[in-house]
Amino acid sequence: MDALILLATSVVAGFIGSLLGLGGGIILIPVLTLFFHVNIRYAIAASLISIIATSSGAAAGFLRDRLTNLRLAVLLETGTVTGAIAGFLFSRFVNASVLFLLFGGFLLFSALMMLRRREEHHGQRDHPWSARLKLAGVYPEKNQPVAYAVENVPLGLFAMFGAGVLSALLGIGSGIFKVLAMDGAMKLPMKVSSATSNFMIGVTASASAGAYLLQGDVRPEIAAPVAVGIIAGSWVGARAMVHLPALWIRRIFVVVLAIVSVQMIMKGLS
Amino acid sequence: MKARGMEELELRISLFLRAGVVIAGVLLLAGWLMSTRLGGHPLQGLETYQPHDLGLILREAWSQGRVGTLLCYGGLFALISLPIVRVLLTAVLFLRQKDLILSGVAFFVLACLALSFFLGAVH
Repeated sequence: MDALILLATSVVAGFIGSLLGLGGGIILIPVLTLFFHVNIRYAIAASLISIIATSSGAAAGFLRDRLTNLRLAVLLETGTVTGAIAGFLFSRFVNASVLFLLFGGFLLFSALMMLRRREEHHGQRDHPWSARLKLAGVYPEKNQPVAYAVENVPLGLFAMFGAGVLSALLGIGSGIFKVLAMDGAMKLPMKVSSATSNFMIGVTASASAGAYLLQGDVRPEIAAPVAVGIIAGSWVGARAMVHLPALWIRRIFVVVLAIVSVQMIMKGLS
Repeated sequence: MKARGMEELELRISLFLRAGVVIAGVLLLAGWLMSTRLGGHPLQGLETYQPHDLGLILREAWSQGRVGTLLCYGGLFALISLPIVRVLLTAVLFLRQKDLILSGVAFFVLACLALSFFLGAVH
């Protein structure tokens, strides 16, 4: 019966994740560890697999809509991938209690971030690295092309390294941190930072997912139903998005996240 | 010319990613249905972390004819390879456009991915 419940949970995780623009890991890891009592290391490895599935599916749509800054994504991936390698190496020295505490803290932070109102930015002064690599771009807004510059590239790269470490360590996409760095430090327009972040998440996750798979930590009895469920759920979620009150779902989800984060922290402390 | 090349590549990557997710999903679903008793408790025994040797798992599955397990791993490898092939396609495009710096950056990302897998394999 566990198998079917896990599949159903993954469909729901993919559905909610797609509605709220989150990866499935934020839902799946607490369910796998608190409800199914799966070891957090297996949960992290399975979650990374599901992140590649959702990111690849969503990235295809964003690319088609011309919102992704491909040149910037390639540059920032150097930060996320090296961070993911560091996180993978670091994970072997971190015990399960610390992982629960870190994950609980991450959930709480995510809940707070979901409440904040994102401010629209348009970078004005191109950073010298951006000018050299031609990272500035144009995106469509109400059928009009809008040009933007890319500021503070070194800080963005440094933040991406941190996002990569957390991704490998906690089995998350780290989209929240990536978007935060691109919005706040690099002053990218919201749509561009969301699309570019989503595009990078798959590469970040594949760096550590591949390492975990070759290390034997990706268990197919968890990863297969989780990936299939997430793919199906996010596909339905993307189509149902326009018919559902996303604001109310977001508010309810923030409360659920806060409760689950406390449970994860308590498990870490116990 | 460069812009058109970029647009074509973006479209190609988009189609590749969509097709890849579907193929990996079908492999995983088929493998999972063949290898799991839906009414059973396949997660039992995963409460405690134990290191596993992937090579050994695959060899055992092959010798015992466990097609479901092999299909599952095929789907997992397919899924993980999607972002890697995407980086490779990007690197080749930048190289064709004679944008040597960004092409080098993309190949550096590929090298990092290879290093990451190597570290996973040796641990």
